[in-house]
Amino acid sequence: MAANFWTSSHYKQLLDQEEVDVVQSLDKDRGITLEDFKLIKMHMANYILKLAQNVKVRQRVVATAITYMRRVYTRKSMTEYDPRLVTPTCLYLASKAEESTVQARLLVFYIKKIQSDEKYKYEIKHILEMEMKILEALDYYLVVFHPYRALSQLLQDAGLNDINMTQLTWGLVNDTYKMDLILIHPPYLIALACIYIASVLREKDTTAWFEELHVDMNVVSLLKAKLCERGESIQFLLLGSCIEFVGCCNF
Amino acid sequence: MALTAPGQLNVNESPSWGSRSVDCFEKLEQIGEGTYGQVYMARELKTGEIVALKKIRMDNEREGFPITAIREIKILKKLHHENVIKLKEIVTSPGPEQDEQGKPDGNKYKGGIYMVFEYMDHDLTGLADRPGMRFSVPQIKCYMRQLLTGLHYCHVNQVLHRDIKGSNLLIDNDGNLKLADFGLARSFSNDHNANLTNRVITLWYRPPELLLGSTKYGPAVDMWSVGCIFAELLHGKPIFPGKDEPEQLNKIFELCGAPDEVNWPGVSKIPWYNNFKPTRPMKRRLREVFRHFDRHALELLEKMLTLDPSQRIAAKDALDAEYFWTDPLPCDPKSLPKYEASHEFQTKKKRQQQRQHEETAKRQKLQHAQHGRLPPIQQSGQAHAQMRPVANQPIHGSQPPIAAGPSHHFGGKPRGPPGPGRYPSGGNPPGYNHPSRGSQGGGGYSNTQYAQGRGAPYGSGNMSSAGPRGGAGGGGYGVGALIYLQFGP
Repeated sequence: MAANFWTSSHYKQLLDQEEVDVVQSLDKDRGITLEDFKLIKMHMANYILKLAQNVKVRQRVVATAITYMRRVYTRKSMTEYDPRLVTPTCLYLASKAEESTVQARLLVFYIKKIQSDEKYKYEIKHILEMEMKILEALDYYLVVFHPYRALSQLLQDAGLNDINMTQLTWGLVNDTYKMDLILIHPPYLIALACIYIASVLREKDTTAWFEELHVDMNVVSLLKAKLCERGESIQFLLLGSCIEFVGCCNF
Repeated sequence: MALTAPGQLNVNESPSWGSRSVDCFEKLEQIGEGTYGQVYMARELKTGEIVALKKIRMDNEREGFPITAIREIKILKKLHHENVIKLKEIVTSPGPEQDEQGKPDGNKYKGGIYMVFEYMDHDLTGLADRPGMRFSVPQIKCYMRQLLTGLHYCHVNQVLHRDIKGSNLLIDNDGNLKLADFGLARSFSNDHNANLTNRVITLWYRPPELLLGSTKYGPAVDMWSVGCIFAELLHGKPIFPGKDEPEQLNKIFELCGAPDEVNWPGVSKIPWYNNFKPTRPMKRRLREVFRHFDRHALELLEKMLTLDPSQRIAAKDALDAEYFWTDPLPCDPKSLPKYEASHEFQTKKKRQQQRQHEETAKRQKLQHAQHGRLPPIQQSGQAHAQMRPVANQPIHGSQPPIAAGPSHHFGGKPRGPPGPGRYPSGGNPPGYNHPSRGSQGGGGYSNTQYAQGRGAPYGSGNMSSAGPRGGAGGGGYGVGALIYLQFGP
């Protein structure tokens, strides 16, 4: 992506965990707890991924779509913005913003194919209508920075850019989207945390390299802890690297 | 300042997120008109600030919010530079709106969406076309430097503008020039070798690599357009006014020579090279044709109008050119004369009359139909030499006299007197008409449909006669033309 992260709206819009973990009052009234809130978002992230695999778009589009969805729910309630509609719409919008356009009718076709539940069955007009609402909820800020670019640069810098480490870290980065990390931390830190986890898993000594980077290791460990704490919800993780996750939670 | 009536929404308050209502603005007058949308000059009620509102039309869109609008918003939200138009915010109108004819807007989703821009008084083409307008050399240098500065900023931020032309360069009364209309712009990255569409950039300003069908290209495409504008400013009229792609390439080859593996390594591998390969040898005649130009200007122009995009000068290097650092130096924008706002829409009547003159003139096969732009005031009195035609340029009167586009509704109007005979007809260039100066064309703020992958390919068929200045719009705030957009993989 073009432009500079530090001058971007993405950077300016980074939130604190406490700001992200707010259940909208309308949702609270319906008895949705913070834990439910997180699980629904994780479930929706998986739904986006599943749809994306069917319509065949790049991982980047998935990541952007999930980010949009998570941003929307920092401002809007699930009661008013049905996640079952917001989710495909975010993918639809992200596919445009990331130049991998998917036709709305194709999306609707796969929704019907994947979801047997009537409650998921939205039509093109619903998606187009929701698109406008999401654009507004996002305040038209559509550029999202992801850890992928930083990841490959950092791996190269650390001399860890073999196929094994690349695949493992890439999978870990994908998994970070099961959480709200992208709303809270700058992408390069997420990439670093994934490299850190991977290097521990693969027993690679990267201490010296990390020290040289002068990154705040407290933040990296915190991120790592957050990644690992999701081990309990592992049933929601569909990616292959979830097994690695369990592994990393045991040390 | 108007106050909100009791019981109404407080439209003055800025929400912490989400968008305000268009009711925060008072539409003053329409300053641009395209077949598909309008641009208004408006006043923000709260501050009294004058802005331009560009409506994003949503009806006609089968795929929701137009991707061209998404691109423009994405890009404008991240570009902040004094030579790039500022997107102030996006506002929505709460309910279904009525258009000018009182018909329901037809928008199923929401009222309307408007992009709010800072207001600019002119665009470069509009300004240049003012009768009797003559730019001074320091003024041209000043505009060119601002154009290159803004473009350099875009390129550094990995944005290709892809529609650089006079009507997309807006100028305010403080002499500031800003790049506008990013409806065709997109991000590029150096490491990705993505295929981009070659159906971008208004025909007259389109570089040879795109005309030859290249789909991997970079910032050099914008620099060709800059070269065309530069030459146009010095020459007094567009230098490559082709009416379709083959003619466009031919005009380029006539001036810049034909490409071959010597002057452009790899050219023979470009998709359509063999289709357009000239049958006869053609020498580069740029220096000869423009020999009356200032030496440094010619030197810079040579580098901009280089056929091989990899050898074409970059914006950054162009800013270092001798041209900008020798006397007369570029002037301070603030020292430039102030002109009365010249928005096409506002001066429609006047223009229409003028067009009728042109029309009649053309009909009578006069070769000087247009009120010609005057070449810049130059050191030596070469005004006549400067109007020398580009050799071999086909007579332009052969163009269909009435543009076929639906936008031109002056066909049946009574004819006015013949066009102003500014130049004696003998030996003069064919009257150069601005085909797009149809009812909707022209400077200022126009707005055209956001093409979403189904606009007519530009410069072909019926579009060609509507003219590349923007089929229906041509204004800086609008998308210049319907251009077929193809999306990357």
